[in-house]
Amino acid sequence: MSSMVLGSGSCATVSASSMADGGAWRPPRTCEDYWSEWKHCKGIRNFFHNYYTYGEVPSCEQWKIDYSNCRKWEKSKSPDAKESLCKSERARILEKQKYDPVWKLRKTPPRDWYLPLGQDKSK
Amino acid sequence: MDRSEPPPEVAEGEDFGYRLFPERHSEAKRSFLTTSLFTFNHKCQVMLRIALDTNPYAQLLLDAMKQSGCTVYKDRHFACEDCDGCVSGGFDSATSQIVLCQNNIHQQSHMNRVVTHELIHAFDHCRAHVDWFKNVKHLACSEIRAANLSGDCSLVNEITRFKFGLKQHHQTCVRDRAIRSILAVRKVSKETAEKAVDEVFDSCFNDHEPFGRVPHSKSDAKYAYRDFQNRNRYYANL
Repeated sequence: MSSMVLGSGSCATVSASSMADGGAWRPPRTCEDYWSEWKHCKGIRNFFHNYYTYGEVPSCEQWKIDYSNCRKWEKSKSPDAKESLCKSERARILEKQKYDPVWKLRKTPPRDWYLPLGQDKSK
Repeated sequence: MDRSEPPPEVAEGEDFGYRLFPERHSEAKRSFLTTSLFTFNHKCQVMLRIALDTNPYAQLLLDAMKQSGCTVYKDRHFACEDCDGCVSGGFDSATSQIVLCQNNIHQQSHMNRVVTHELIHAFDHCRAHVDWFKNVKHLACSEIRAANLSGDCSLVNEITRFKFGLKQHHQTCVRDRAIRSILAVRKVSKETAEKAVDEVFDSCFNDHEPFGRVPHSKSDAKYAYRDFQNRNRYYANL
Protein backbone atom coordinates (compact mmCIF):
# COMPACT_ATOMS: atom_id res chain seq x y z
CA MET A 1 0.00 0.00 0.00
CA SER A 2 1.07 3.61 -0.44
CA SER A 3 3.40 5.00 2.14
CA MET A 4 2.76 8.44 3.48
CA VAL A 5 4.56 10.59 0.95
CA LEU A 6 4.52 14.25 1.92
CA GLY A 7 3.88 16.14 -1.30
CA SER A 8 4.42 19.79 -1.94
CA GLY A 9 0.94 20.48 -0.58
CA SER A 10 1.26 18.49 2.64
CA CYS A 11 -0.26 19.34 6.01
CA ALA A 12 3.23 20.06 7.26
CA THR A 13 3.48 23.15 5.05
CA VAL A 14 3.50 26.23 7.23
CA SER A 15 0.31 28.29 7.04
CA ALA A 16 1.92 31.44 5.69
CA SER A 17 3.60 29.66 2.82
CA SER A 18 0.50 27.63 2.02
CA MET A 19 -1.25 30.89 1.28
CA ALA A 20 1.75 32.08 -0.74
CA ASP A 21 2.22 28.93 -2.86
CA GLY A 22 -1.08 29.52 -4.61
CA GLY A 23 -2.95 26.80 -2.70
CA ALA A 24 -1.04 23.61 -3.65
CA TRP A 25 -2.69 21.86 -0.69
CA ARG A 26 -6.18 20.53 -0.99
CA PRO A 27 -8.26 18.44 1.39
CA PRO A 28 -7.22 14.74 1.39
CA ARG A 29 -10.72 13.81 0.21
CA THR A 30 -13.22 15.73 -1.89
CA CYS A 31 -15.96 17.48 0.07
CA GLU A 32 -18.48 15.18 -1.65
CA ASP A 33 -16.60 12.20 -0.20
CA TYR A 34 -16.82 13.62 3.34
CA TRP A 35 -20.53 14.20 2.84
CA SER A 36 -21.16 10.70 1.48
CA GLU A 37 -19.12 9.11 4.29
CA TRP A 38 -21.22 11.02 6.84
CA LYS A 39 -24.49 9.96 5.22
CA HIS A 40 -23.28 6.37 4.95
CA CYS A 41 -22.14 6.39 8.59
CA LYS A 42 -25.48 7.70 9.84
CA GLY A 43 -27.54 5.14 7.91
CA ILE A 44 -29.40 2.26 9.50
CA ARG A 45 -27.30 -0.37 7.70
CA ASN A 46 -24.07 1.01 9.09
CA PHE A 47 -25.65 1.26 12.54
CA PHE A 48 -26.40 -2.44 12.37
CA HIS A 49 -23.02 -3.42 10.90
CA ASN A 50 -21.13 -1.46 13.52
CA TYR A 51 -23.11 -3.06 16.35
CA TYR A 52 -22.63 -6.52 14.81
CA THR A 53 -18.85 -5.97 14.43
CA TYR A 54 -17.85 -3.82 17.40
CA GLY A 55 -20.80 -4.08 19.77
CA GLU A 56 -21.38 -0.34 19.81
CA VAL A 57 -23.17 2.47 18.06
CA PRO A 58 -21.06 4.19 15.34
CA SER A 59 -19.71 7.66 15.92
CA CYS A 60 -20.30 9.81 12.83
CA GLU A 61 -19.88 13.37 14.08
CA GLN A 62 -16.28 13.70 12.88
CA TRP A 63 -17.30 13.18 9.23
CA LYS A 64 -19.75 16.08 9.52
CA ILE A 65 -17.08 18.30 11.09
CA ASP A 66 -14.63 17.34 8.33
CA TYR A 67 -17.24 18.11 5.67
CA SER A 68 -17.88 21.57 7.03
CA ASN A 69 -14.14 22.26 7.33
CA CYS A 70 -13.72 21.10 3.74
CA ARG A 71 -16.36 23.54 2.53
CA LYS A 72 -14.85 26.30 4.69
CA TRP A 73 -11.46 25.66 3.03
CA GLU A 74 -13.00 25.73 -0.42
CA LYS A 75 -14.75 29.01 0.32
CA SER A 76 -12.08 30.96 2.18
CA LYS A 77 -8.83 28.89 2.33
CA SER A 78 -9.07 29.06 6.12
CA PRO A 79 -5.86 27.82 7.82
CA ASP A 80 -7.93 26.66 10.81
CA ALA A 81 -10.07 24.51 8.54
CA LYS A 82 -6.95 23.02 6.95
CA GLU A 83 -5.41 22.28 10.33
CA SER A 84 -8.58 20.64 11.62
CA LEU A 85 -8.88 18.46 8.55
CA CYS A 86 -5.25 17.39 8.74
CA LYS A 87 -5.54 16.61 12.44
CA SER A 88 -8.67 14.56 11.85
CA GLU A 89 -7.19 12.49 9.01
CA ARG A 90 -3.95 11.89 10.87
CA ALA A 91 -5.92 10.68 13.86
CA ARG A 92 -7.72 8.22 11.56
CA ILE A 93 -4.38 6.88 10.34
CA LEU A 94 -2.92 6.65 13.84
CA GLU A 95 -5.99 4.72 14.94
CA LYS A 96 -5.17 2.11 12.27
CA GLN A 97 -1.53 1.89 13.37
CA LYS A 98 -2.36 1.12 17.02
CA TYR A 99 -1.11 -2.47 16.87
CA ASP A 100 2.27 -3.97 15.99
CA PRO A 101 2.20 -5.91 12.70
CA VAL A 102 2.53 -9.68 12.90
CA TRP A 103 4.76 -9.98 9.86
CA LYS A 104 7.46 -8.02 8.08
CA LEU A 105 6.40 -6.21 4.90
CA ARG A 106 8.17 -7.04 1.67
CA LYS A 107 10.20 -4.51 -0.28
CA THR A 108 9.73 -6.45 -3.53
CA PRO A 109 7.04 -8.96 -4.56
CA PRO A 110 7.73 -12.74 -4.33
CA ARG A 111 10.21 -13.84 -6.98
CA ASP A 112 8.14 -16.85 -8.10
CA TRP A 113 4.81 -15.00 -8.57
CA TYR A 114 5.14 -15.01 -12.36
CA LEU A 115 7.10 -18.26 -12.76
CA PRO A 116 5.38 -20.63 -15.22
CA LEU A 117 3.68 -23.56 -13.52
CA GLY A 118 5.71 -26.72 -13.20
CA GLN A 119 8.99 -24.96 -12.53
CA ASP A 120 8.44 -24.90 -8.77
CA LYS A 121 6.73 -28.27 -8.27
CA SER A 122 9.75 -29.49 -6.32
CA LYS A 123 8.65 -27.35 -3.30
CA MET B 1 4.39 -9.26 19.94
CA ASP B 2 7.60 -11.19 20.66
CA ARG B 3 9.27 -11.53 17.27
CA SER B 4 12.42 -13.14 18.68
CA GLU B 5 10.48 -16.31 19.57
CA PRO B 6 11.52 -19.17 17.21
CA PRO B 7 8.75 -20.62 15.00
CA PRO B 8 7.45 -24.00 16.18
CA GLU B 9 8.74 -27.22 14.65
CA VAL B 10 6.74 -28.78 11.81
CA ALA B 11 4.72 -31.79 13.07
CA GLU B 12 5.52 -35.27 11.79
CA GLY B 13 3.19 -36.38 9.00
CA GLU B 14 2.20 -32.79 8.29
CA ASP B 15 0.79 -32.45 4.77
CA PHE B 16 -0.07 -28.71 4.97
CA GLY B 17 -3.63 -29.44 3.86
CA TYR B 18 -2.68 -30.79 0.43
CA ARG B 19 -4.77 -33.95 1.08
CA LEU B 20 -7.86 -31.73 0.56
CA PHE B 21 -6.66 -30.84 -2.95
CA PRO B 22 -5.82 -34.23 -4.55
CA GLU B 23 -5.33 -32.76 -8.03
CA ARG B 24 -2.45 -30.63 -6.63
CA HIS B 25 -0.17 -33.57 -6.03
CA SER B 26 -1.50 -36.01 -8.57
CA GLU B 27 0.73 -36.54 -11.60
CA ALA B 28 -2.17 -37.97 -13.63
CA LYS B 29 -4.00 -35.27 -15.57
CA ARG B 30 -7.59 -35.80 -16.67
CA SER B 31 -8.36 -35.69 -20.35
CA PHE B 32 -10.11 -32.64 -21.78
CA LEU B 33 -13.20 -34.77 -22.50
CA THR B 34 -13.37 -36.12 -18.96
CA THR B 35 -12.96 -32.62 -17.54
CA SER B 36 -15.67 -31.22 -19.84
CA LEU B 37 -18.26 -33.97 -19.37
CA PHE B 38 -17.79 -35.17 -15.83
CA THR B 39 -16.76 -32.13 -13.77
CA PHE B 40 -18.09 -28.66 -13.01
CA ASN B 41 -14.98 -27.12 -14.51
CA HIS B 42 -16.70 -24.98 -17.13
CA LYS B 43 -19.27 -23.66 -14.65
CA CYS B 44 -16.43 -22.77 -12.26
CA GLN B 45 -14.54 -20.91 -14.98
CA VAL B 46 -17.64 -18.90 -15.95
CA MET B 47 -18.47 -17.98 -12.35
CA LEU B 48 -14.84 -17.05 -11.73
CA ARG B 49 -14.84 -14.73 -14.76
CA ILE B 50 -18.04 -13.06 -13.52
CA ALA B 51 -16.55 -12.59 -10.03
CA LEU B 52 -13.34 -11.05 -11.35
CA ASP B 53 -15.15 -8.74 -13.76
CA THR B 54 -18.03 -7.54 -11.62
CA ASN B 55 -17.44 -8.04 -7.91
CA PRO B 56 -16.13 -4.84 -6.23
CA TYR B 57 -14.30 -6.80 -3.50
CA ALA B 58 -12.34 -8.75 -6.11
CA GLN B 59 -11.70 -5.68 -8.25
CA LEU B 60 -10.19 -3.76 -5.36
CA LEU B 61 -7.98 -6.70 -4.42
CA LEU B 62 -6.82 -7.18 -8.02
CA ASP B 63 -5.90 -3.49 -8.26
CA ALA B 64 -4.13 -3.56 -4.90
CA MET B 65 -2.13 -6.61 -5.90
CA LYS B 66 -1.17 -5.02 -9.21
CA GLN B 67 0.01 -1.97 -7.31
CA SER B 68 2.09 -4.23 -5.05
CA GLY B 69 3.78 -5.84 -8.05
CA CYS B 70 1.70 -9.03 -8.25
CA THR B 71 -0.59 -8.69 -11.25
CA VAL B 72 -3.09 -11.53 -11.17
CA TYR B 73 -3.69 -13.47 -14.40
CA LYS B 74 -6.76 -15.68 -14.38
CA ASP B 75 -5.17 -18.54 -16.29
CA ARG B 76 -1.94 -18.53 -14.29
CA HIS B 77 -3.11 -17.73 -10.79
CA PHE B 78 -6.47 -19.51 -10.58
CA ALA B 79 -7.25 -23.22 -10.90
CA CYS B 80 -10.67 -24.89 -10.76
CA GLU B 81 -10.27 -28.39 -9.34
CA ASP B 82 -12.19 -31.11 -7.55
CA CYS B 83 -11.49 -31.07 -3.83
CA ASP B 84 -12.12 -33.38 -0.91
CA GLY B 85 -14.61 -32.70 1.83
CA CYS B 86 -16.48 -29.45 2.17
CA VAL B 87 -13.58 -27.13 1.48
CA SER B 88 -14.37 -24.31 -0.98
CA GLY B 89 -10.91 -23.18 -1.97
CA GLY B 90 -7.34 -22.56 -0.96
CA PHE B 91 -4.24 -20.54 -1.68
CA ASP B 92 -1.18 -22.57 -2.69
CA SER B 93 1.82 -20.37 -1.93
CA ALA B 94 4.19 -22.95 -3.44
CA THR B 95 2.75 -22.33 -6.91
CA SER B 96 1.23 -18.86 -6.28
CA GLN B 97 -2.19 -20.22 -7.23
CA ILE B 98 -5.70 -19.86 -5.91
CA VAL B 99 -7.53 -23.18 -6.02
CA LEU B 100 -11.30 -23.08 -6.41
CA CYS B 101 -13.24 -26.23 -5.55
CA GLN B 102 -15.48 -26.66 -8.60
CA ASN B 103 -17.36 -29.52 -6.95
CA ASN B 104 -18.28 -27.43 -3.89
CA ILE B 105 -19.06 -23.99 -5.31
CA HIS B 106 -22.41 -23.86 -7.08
CA GLN B 107 -23.66 -20.30 -6.61
CA GLN B 108 -22.22 -17.02 -7.84
CA SER B 109 -22.47 -15.40 -4.40
CA HIS B 110 -20.41 -18.25 -2.94
CA MET B 111 -17.84 -17.93 -5.74
CA ASN B 112 -17.58 -14.18 -5.07
CA ARG B 113 -16.89 -14.83 -1.42
CA VAL B 114 -14.33 -17.60 -2.00
CA VAL B 115 -12.46 -15.55 -4.61
CA THR B 116 -12.32 -12.60 -2.19
CA HIS B 117 -11.19 -14.82 0.69
CA GLU B 118 -8.37 -16.43 -1.31
CA LEU B 119 -7.31 -13.14 -2.91
CA ILE B 120 -6.78 -11.77 0.60
CA HIS B 121 -4.34 -14.63 1.27
CA ALA B 122 -2.65 -13.93 -2.06
CA PHE B 123 -2.48 -10.22 -1.21
CA ASP B 124 -0.84 -11.00 2.14
CA HIS B 125 1.63 -13.31 0.37
CA CYS B 126 2.45 -10.54 -2.06
CA ARG B 127 2.95 -7.70 0.42
CA ALA B 128 4.53 -9.47 3.39
CA HIS B 129 6.95 -12.22 4.30
CA VAL B 130 4.30 -14.69 5.39
CA ASP B 131 5.75 -18.00 6.59
CA TRP B 132 2.75 -20.13 5.61
CA PHE B 133 4.33 -23.46 6.45
CA LYS B 134 6.21 -22.93 9.69
CA ASN B 135 4.61 -20.01 11.52
CA VAL B 136 1.09 -20.73 12.78
CA LYS B 137 0.69 -17.09 13.89
CA HIS B 138 1.24 -15.89 10.33
CA LEU B 139 -1.33 -18.36 9.05
CA ALA B 140 -3.72 -17.33 11.84
CA CYS B 141 -3.33 -13.66 10.93
CA SER B 142 -4.16 -14.21 7.27
CA GLU B 143 -7.14 -16.40 8.16
CA ILE B 144 -8.46 -13.76 10.57
CA ARG B 145 -8.17 -11.11 7.87
CA ALA B 146 -9.78 -13.32 5.23
CA ALA B 147 -12.74 -14.25 7.44
CA ASN B 148 -13.11 -10.62 8.53
CA LEU B 149 -12.96 -8.92 5.15
CA SER B 150 -14.50 -11.38 2.67
CA GLY B 151 -18.07 -11.45 3.94
CA ASP B 152 -17.65 -14.97 5.35
CA CYS B 153 -19.04 -13.77 8.68
CA SER B 154 -22.06 -11.77 7.56
CA LEU B 155 -25.17 -12.20 9.69
CA VAL B 156 -26.99 -13.98 6.85
CA ASN B 157 -24.15 -16.48 6.36
CA GLU B 158 -23.97 -17.16 10.07
CA ILE B 159 -27.72 -17.74 10.31
CA THR B 160 -27.53 -20.28 7.47
CA ARG B 161 -24.93 -22.09 9.57
CA PHE B 162 -27.33 -21.97 12.53
CA LYS B 163 -24.94 -19.70 14.45
CA PHE B 164 -26.99 -17.00 16.12
CA GLY B 165 -25.70 -13.86 17.74
CA LEU B 166 -25.82 -10.10 17.24
CA LYS B 167 -23.67 -7.90 19.46
CA GLN B 168 -20.07 -8.25 18.32
CA HIS B 169 -20.92 -11.66 16.85
CA HIS B 170 -18.79 -10.84 13.80
CA GLN B 171 -15.66 -11.17 15.94
CA THR B 172 -16.77 -14.50 17.41
CA CYS B 173 -17.36 -15.80 13.89
CA VAL B 174 -13.99 -14.55 12.61
CA ARG B 175 -12.18 -16.18 15.52
CA ASP B 176 -13.98 -19.50 15.13
CA ARG B 177 -13.56 -19.67 11.36
CA ALA B 178 -9.86 -18.81 11.60
CA ILE B 179 -9.34 -21.65 14.08
CA ARG B 180 -11.29 -24.06 11.85
CA SER B 181 -9.23 -23.08 8.81
CA ILE B 182 -5.95 -23.60 10.67
CA LEU B 183 -7.04 -27.02 11.90
CA ALA B 184 -8.07 -28.04 8.38
CA VAL B 185 -4.61 -27.43 6.91
CA ARG B 186 -2.18 -27.92 9.77
CA LYS B 187 -1.52 -30.85 12.07
CA VAL B 188 -1.73 -28.81 15.28
CA SER B 189 -3.87 -29.18 18.38
CA LYS B 190 -7.00 -27.09 18.88
CA GLU B 191 -5.26 -25.39 21.82
CA THR B 192 -2.31 -24.38 19.62
CA ALA B 193 -4.63 -22.98 16.96
CA GLU B 194 -6.69 -21.09 19.55
CA LYS B 195 -3.59 -19.67 21.21
CA ALA B 196 -2.16 -18.49 17.88
CA VAL B 197 -5.45 -16.81 16.91
CA ASP B 198 -5.82 -15.14 20.31
CA GLU B 199 -2.28 -13.82 20.27
CA VAL B 200 -2.60 -12.10 16.89
CA PHE B 201 -6.31 -11.27 16.94
CA ASP B 202 -6.18 -7.59 17.89
CA SER B 203 -3.51 -6.75 15.34
CA CYS B 204 -4.97 -8.77 12.47
CA PHE B 205 -8.66 -8.06 13.03
CA ASN B 206 -7.84 -4.36 12.82
CA ASP B 207 -5.66 -4.72 9.70
CA HIS B 208 -8.15 -3.86 6.96
CA GLU B 209 -5.74 -3.53 4.04
CA PRO B 210 -6.42 -2.95 1.19
CA PHE B 211 -10.04 -2.07 2.08
CA GLY B 212 -9.40 0.50 4.79
CA ARG B 213 -12.59 -0.67 6.51
CA VAL B 214 -14.53 -3.90 7.07
CA PRO B 215 -16.66 -4.16 3.91
CA HIS B 216 -20.02 -5.56 4.98
CA SER B 217 -21.68 -5.13 1.61
CA LYS B 218 -20.93 -4.37 -2.03
CA SER B 219 -21.75 -0.75 -1.21
CA ASP B 220 -19.01 -0.71 1.49
CA ALA B 221 -16.64 -2.36 -0.99
CA LYS B 222 -17.38 0.38 -3.55
CA TYR B 223 -16.59 3.09 -0.97
CA ALA B 224 -13.36 1.25 -0.17
CA TYR B 225 -12.50 1.02 -3.88
CA ARG B 226 -13.14 4.75 -4.27
CA ASP B 227 -10.76 5.49 -1.39
CA PHE B 228 -8.15 3.16 -2.89
CA GLN B 229 -8.34 4.92 -6.23
CA ASN B 230 -7.96 8.30 -4.49
CA ARG B 231 -5.04 7.22 -2.29
CA ASN B 232 -2.46 9.33 -4.10
CA ARG B 233 -4.38 12.50 -3.42
CA TYR B 234 -5.07 11.36 0.13
CA TYR B 235 -1.47 10.73 1.15
CA ALA B 236 -0.08 13.67 -0.80
CA ASN B 237 -2.20 16.08 1.23
CA LEU B 238 -1.58 14.78 4.74
